[in-house]
Amino acid sequence: MKRISFLRVLLLGSIAACTPVTAKVFLRVEASPLPPADKTGIQDVVLLWPLRDPSVAAKLHSQGYRVFLQCESKDLAAVVATADRAAVTGMIVTNTVPSSQFHAAERLHPYFAAHKSLTFRMLVPGGKQPQLKGRLVVERDGVLQISSPSSQPWLDTNLALVRLAQSMDPDSLPIIYDFHWDTSGALPDAWHPDAEAYAVAIAEADAIRSDVTIDLPSSLQRALVAGDPRAWTLWKGIMPYLDFSSHAATERMLPVANLGVIVDDGQASYEAINLMARHNLAFESVRPSGVTLARLSSWNSVVVFCPLNKEAVALLRDFAASGGIVIFVNTHDEFSWHSAPPLRQESRATVYSIGAGQVVELPEPVVDPENFARDLRRLIGRERSALALWNSLTTLVTGYREQSRSDVTLYLVNYANQPDSVQVQVKGRFARVRLESPEQPCCVSVPFVERGGFTEFTIPALRITARVHLDSARESSATP
Amino acid sequence: MRWLKSAALPSLTLAMLPLPAILCSPQNSSFVHQKRYAMGTVFEIVIYDEDLPRADAAARAALDEVVRLDGMMSNYKPESDLSRMNRTAHFQPVRIPREIYEVIEESLYYSRHSDGQFDISVGPLVDLWKAALAGGPLPTAADQASARRCVGYQKIELTPPDRIQFHSDCMRLDLGAIGKGYAVDRTAEILNASGIHRAYIDAGGSTIYALGAPPGGTAWRVRLRDPSRKLGPEVMLRNNSVSTSEQSAPSSLQGDAPGHIIVPGTGKPLQTRYAISVAAPSATASDALSTTLLLLGPTKGAALVKTLHNVSAMWIDSDGQRTIVGDGVSFFLTGENRPIQVSPPKNRIAATSKAANELLP
Repeated sequence: MKRISFLRVLLLGSIAACTPVTAKVFLRVEASPLPPADKTGIQDVVLLWPLRDPSVAAKLHSQGYRVFLQCESKDLAAVVATADRAAVTGMIVTNTVPSSQFHAAERLHPYFAAHKSLTFRMLVPGGKQPQLKGRLVVERDGVLQISSPSSQPWLDTNLALVRLAQSMDPDSLPIIYDFHWDTSGALPDAWHPDAEAYAVAIAEADAIRSDVTIDLPSSLQRALVAGDPRAWTLWKGIMPYLDFSSHAATERMLPVANLGVIVDDGQASYEAINLMARHNLAFESVRPSGVTLARLSSWNSVVVFCPLNKEAVALLRDFAASGGIVIFVNTHDEFSWHSAPPLRQESRATVYSIGAGQVVELPEPVVDPENFARDLRRLIGRERSALALWNSLTTLVTGYREQSRSDVTLYLVNYANQPDSVQVQVKGRFARVRLESPEQPCCVSVPFVERGGFTEFTIPALRITARVHLDSARESSATP
Repeated sequence: MRWLKSAALPSLTLAMLPLPAILCSPQNSSFVHQKRYAMGTVFEIVIYDEDLPRADAAARAALDEVVRLDGMMSNYKPESDLSRMNRTAHFQPVRIPREIYEVIEESLYYSRHSDGQFDISVGPLVDLWKAALAGGPLPTAADQASARRCVGYQKIELTPPDRIQFHSDCMRLDLGAIGKGYAVDRTAEILNASGIHRAYIDAGGSTIYALGAPPGGTAWRVRLRDPSRKLGPEVMLRNNSVSTSEQSAPSSLQGDAPGHIIVPGTGKPLQTRYAISVAAPSATASDALSTTLLLLGPTKGAALVKTLHNVSAMWIDSDGQRTIVGDGVSFFLTGENRPIQVSPPKNRIAATSKAANELLP
């Protein structure tokens, strides 16, 4: 793809505002005692509204915590009134009004602007515990069912959820997601979840660069307060991950992505995008209004899940002509390139060759997201992929680039409870590759090779998470 | 071991569904459910037992064994015993662990009975096409010819009790089409030895072994892969196994994306419209036979099944056409609401593995 440097500068400026800065862990607790913040390693705690005893918030504040109240948007006025009296730092607002996240944020934004002393987060619904899933679901009555038709290891991840939320509401409130712990398979009398489950959740939020709310089970909260050694052993297994997460960069970072996803309804296309995330396709999602020349200049492939106006279609035609791949999903529109015969026509896809690139039109929605994501990965190929992993079916990778430099940081999360040998390929040339992890303080140099414009290296035993810093001495060559 | 079969198969839908009349919904039953990632897939064990700590420990021990076998039989871990063997067994005998010896011995049995359609030396060809599967260029004829030179089970020589030699300078073995089954059998053995008698062992959905029956039931009901979505095939398992195999689905975005199962004879990806399910007394047998019989197809495959004892096989294509043979457990087509009866043929040989080589022609 032809690259235009001044457009890149425009691009950096245009999307910096929508990139989250923090990936904080908020601990949702019962409105009851908690050990002090310097013991738990947590700074932000969440209490559910309504509060039976507002003094709990003040007590937690005195223990070193920043206290957030989680409430529904309809209760906001009452909560704000309490906040002023109870040493509350901010609100996490759930949208219970039957409207999209985008419209809810739009509606509430003036309200938030009027209370600048408080910090607000908009809760993204639909989060799930990040974990490696099996095929079996064991229900309470002992009946067993298969949960997934795929024999690939299935990862539950919140990456797509957050990416979509960020694209739906780019200029409004900071978002936060949460989930509930999966308690199936928990043995009686055992702490559940275990430390590894917390660690994966913390690591995932770090990799997504989004705030997350994690539930602290009441039994564990009570045991920690009581000084139960087993509870503290578990918690001390979690603290290195909290500490590691807290040391991530806080500068505004741009996601490394070679694939653009254009979407106007996150729900309709969610599963396809979820599987794209699952297959480590480095993507960004934008609304149709976000399709600009500047944006397209950083991608080499685009998937379109929604109707576009003529200007956007023209931009995509030019994008394809200069070597890009464009896939229209569930489209029956007439396009200018239909005047020429297609390169290939099948019941499930029609392919047009346009200049140096191609347009693929699918007449139906994605019915098999797993196959769609895998086909997409094949179509894009390694040569066009900004990031790729080998033999790492349980690891997800995200990449970010600093605004003013070409340095790249990769965030890796291994969802399996087994160390993984991860082979990584990153597009671009770098002078140095450095690794840090909870087990390996920053940083150790990682041997790497350059091959065909890519930097390749191996992380021998990725346990749960690591960050890899790729430092560029030749800034102009380290492009996605 | 890349365990490519399990890693790349798209949708081997093996579903275990409630069947109240048979399972009697085990209310209040206590169970343990554990999973572990190994061999490129997720191994899961469900155990019903009154002694939960015992069940928990047994499941943990069994999954530890799967991880140990993965470390031994992996061909992408350079330090594994299999990788070491693949580096050193050319033109001189080398000692290998008992487990690898057993798996190779059983593999050769299926190679001979399938005229080489099942072949654990096909790795160089698989790797060649794997790049194309990932979006790379299709291999040239010269590439294919070069890789085919390294393939051929006849060039593997086993010397009891623990030695192997390759009569080829470029041969290397990949146990991905049988190793998962072997690991499932080892898992069942460990559970049995721990006093567990009601367990369901699932290796990524493509190979399943049922130990005993769930509480209140006579067998574990398993829903099988059906590309036609018309037949609703199921099988009842009790102390036996079922495996399913299917070629990768064609790409919706690219016309020439190859599948992941390679025909050793031609060196090219298998073209078939079938999915196959094979029930056998052991998971090693069902795993190996599912690949073998998919490669053979229903006509030649049925002839092979008819020589085996306690094996059933079912081929189903996307139109719902099916071929069902064998004297093992019956398959049920719930879409047609009737069981498939198979009459037992004569003159069979055992499909179980332990004495496999003694039965070779």
